[in-house]
Amino acid sequence: MSIEQSQVERALEILGAGTRLDVLGEQADLLRFAESEVTAQHSERRLRVRVRTTRNGRSVAGSLETLEPAAVQALADRLDAALADLPPGPAATSPAPVDHCAETPQVAAATSVLEAGPGDRHRWFRTVRDGLDSSTTVGGAIRYDVLDRVVADSHGLFRAETLTKAAIQAIAKKGDNSVSVRHMHRDADKVPVDDIPAKLRAALTPLPAREAHHGPCRVLLRPQAVVTLMATYGHFVLGATGYATGRSAVAGQLGEKVVSDLITLVDDGADAAGLPSGFDAEGNVRRHTRLIDRGVLTGVVSDRRRAAVTGGVPTGHAAPDGWRFGGDPSPSNLLLAPGDISDEDLLAECGSGLVVNRLDYLRSLHPKQTLVTGTTRDGTYWADSGELVAWHPQVRFTFRMDDVLNAVLAVGNTRECGDTTFMDSVVVPSLLIDAGPLVLP
Amino acid sequence: MSGSPAMRDTAEAVLGLLPTQVQYGDVRVVRRTHEQVLVELDGPGEVGYDDSTGLGLRVLIGGQWGFAATHRLDRRGLDAVVAQAVGQARAAGGGGRVSLGSPVTTRDTWCSPMQVDPFTVPLSSKVDLLAATVKEASTAGPLVQQIEASMDFYRDEKVFANTEGALIEQTLTESGGGLMVNAGDGDDLQRRSFPQGVPRQIRGQRGDFASAGYEHVISLGLDREAARIAAEAVALLSAPQCPDEITTLIAGSNQLAMVLHECAGHPMEADRALGTEVSLAGGTYATPERRGTFRWGSDLVSAYADATIPGALGSFGYDDEGVPAQRTQLVKDGIFLGYMSGRESAGALGLESTGQAKADGWQRLPLVRMTNICLEPGDSSLAEMIAGTKRGILVDTNRGFSIDDQRMNFRFGTEVGWEIRDGKVGRLLKNCTYQSVTPQFWASLDALGGPDEWKVHGVPSCNKGEPLQVAHVGHGTVPGRFQNVQVGR
Repeated sequence: MSIEQSQVERALEILGAGTRLDVLGEQADLLRFAESEVTAQHSERRLRVRVRTTRNGRSVAGSLETLEPAAVQALADRLDAALADLPPGPAATSPAPVDHCAETPQVAAATSVLEAGPGDRHRWFRTVRDGLDSSTTVGGAIRYDVLDRVVADSHGLFRAETLTKAAIQAIAKKGDNSVSVRHMHRDADKVPVDDIPAKLRAALTPLPAREAHHGPCRVLLRPQAVVTLMATYGHFVLGATGYATGRSAVAGQLGEKVVSDLITLVDDGADAAGLPSGFDAEGNVRRHTRLIDRGVLTGVVSDRRRAAVTGGVPTGHAAPDGWRFGGDPSPSNLLLAPGDISDEDLLAECGSGLVVNRLDYLRSLHPKQTLVTGTTRDGTYWADSGELVAWHPQVRFTFRMDDVLNAVLAVGNTRECGDTTFMDSVVVPSLLIDAGPLVLP
Repeated sequence: MSGSPAMRDTAEAVLGLLPTQVQYGDVRVVRRTHEQVLVELDGPGEVGYDDSTGLGLRVLIGGQWGFAATHRLDRRGLDAVVAQAVGQARAAGGGGRVSLGSPVTTRDTWCSPMQVDPFTVPLSSKVDLLAATVKEASTAGPLVQQIEASMDFYRDEKVFANTEGALIEQTLTESGGGLMVNAGDGDDLQRRSFPQGVPRQIRGQRGDFASAGYEHVISLGLDREAARIAAEAVALLSAPQCPDEITTLIAGSNQLAMVLHECAGHPMEADRALGTEVSLAGGTYATPERRGTFRWGSDLVSAYADATIPGALGSFGYDDEGVPAQRTQLVKDGIFLGYMSGRESAGALGLESTGQAKADGWQRLPLVRMTNICLEPGDSSLAEMIAGTKRGILVDTNRGFSIDDQRMNFRFGTEVGWEIRDGKVGRLLKNCTYQSVTPQFWASLDALGGPDEWKVHGVPSCNKGEPLQVAHVGHGTVPGRFQNVQVGR
């Protein structure tokens, strides 16, 4: 769904001075499955045009699903009327300008996604289903996305990119046990679908079930669990608005140690290990942003309104207008540096402890304290002497994320890419957490 | 496109393009408009208008579904959407087993009730009310760091048509408003919301909503309550921490709404029982073999889904498969009885649809969604429950929660709590949380508020599905008392 530059320019002309457009041509194709059968197929095509007009310290927003001049004019009339009705608001404080001269980073769109059809998704489904034995059922979803993006403004900014993504989530169930694998990439040909059945079979290893352990123990968080942990931590802690207003747990601590010195975290929209993208919803180029360097807080992410926190230059993390997770800047492409310890050695280091494949429904109870609660899911094991020895019942953890990240004993050398509903990509290794902050009730 | 005639023509045109192999097809043409107004401590923070029109087409060929959606409503767009839906269904290769139950052939129109059309109220009136609310809240002093007062209005104009002969036009108008105050002293941060909280600080979904006009926002009394709410946020900063103990828990009506939502609402959606939500949300303890026998709660608890309550946020005339709104018993005298369902999920369970298939706009596939999930009132009252409690805590207004993928083990946090000592409400408590397991928690219920305290809460932030869909639902609840609940740990 290409977006014509001439249509965008015509819309800007109609909407008048002080206008920014964030245009999204969305194409999503899904195949969903349950109990080893296809249950639904979706194909969604949508053009979303987000408009922001700011004049004389007043700011209004609108959205519509067309660039047809008559519809744009109707919205322009409405926004003009609203601007005339409003007293000055927070927009009166001048935000940092968009750097029009910065070159738009290029992200290659993959033909494997652009040219895919329903048959490709069925092939993936059959590969996974047919690679499992008859006593194992599988559920999940396969999704291909093509996103055409344009951010343009009435000062001459025009940035465009096409982002592709292919993702598969497969949850295999055998008896009372379930395990999960999730892979994604901008290029469908680089999603290792053929490996998934073997991974699921291995994770469904025949082990006895044990009683729940109570009290503290070492916990090995595998990459899917770490994706959830780091995304949640980044969203609540590492944005410039929370930092500037004191709502973040690390407010005022730039240059200070905030987590274990084994943790080095950056946000980088250009790193191909994640799902790259070139610019944010305001048109700011996504910049490589050092967030935590060996445990020391070195930065946060910002948008135009909060650019002062990051040296006057937005880092490229503006939230889209109307974003359901709030209007504050938030990390988009987190990468946690790998360590040098193999998965086998991490398991050995775990000693007698818990191994968690996935953290689910991790929700904030107190953002300032980084207090969250969530459960394990799809693969919770007990380990002893370097081996998985039993399936462990699902566990609810309620913990402070900063405590957990201060108790990291070791970092794995193999990373996986994941995503969440509020973050484009999170690339992480396994983390071994010392006994203490994760207590089994 | 504007207005129903053009939308109806589009729906009929799409059905006319379907090839003869289509066993069943339905089309929804939807226009959704949304207005939001947000005022912050330093002035108007957000004024927005959203307008979205498009269609979603679903076809069944060889027992396999295809669904496609588009914003392009010209002939080329319609041809493309038919080709995509049909292509998907054919790609599955047939052999599917789908039972849709009785055909749906209704032809009707329906409008939600409304006194004052919120889209005709001047923006300046809305801003004035919210600014007055913020001003009142700001009187609580310098520890107030953030105030956000908001209103949101939605209108869905929908045309549904299917190959069985149904043609239904509906217009739903929804109005809501809310207030959120954050207070901080450098070390701590406390939030108070009114009339109810949301799990996250989500714009566009804050406050209490109803299927009504501007009169609902006026009735909330945001400006009247603002000073009290802000004062509580400040007081929480110096309040003692919720104790760590097993005790008696009294949950206010709007807190119980969220617990009911997570413990009864989601688990009793038939598609979860069939495993089709496993990739994101998970499964359920409410499996088909447990219908009619599983003890979900104490004898005092009966719960139902009812899409016919006038003005409630989860009400409508017909669901997005054309099935009429209805009431469905979920729990009776503590026993799990039934599911919420759509045509396909009901058919898979050998039942008829309960009319609860809903889609988040034109671009999403209908899923089984809650309507208004309600508790039948008891014969006690909040005052009686407190008076009859020697030691316990009273909690209200949800702050955060998590529940496991089978909807059993949960933990809720609330914005505010009070200790109860010897039948009286005592000190304010902060950071209140409680943890339990669904059937144990509801089995420990020993008192429910009476009909006078029954109230419907409109929650516009129910998430489900992949891609994620947001539903607007209601909960009719009363205060309730639970014994031997772990709090604060």
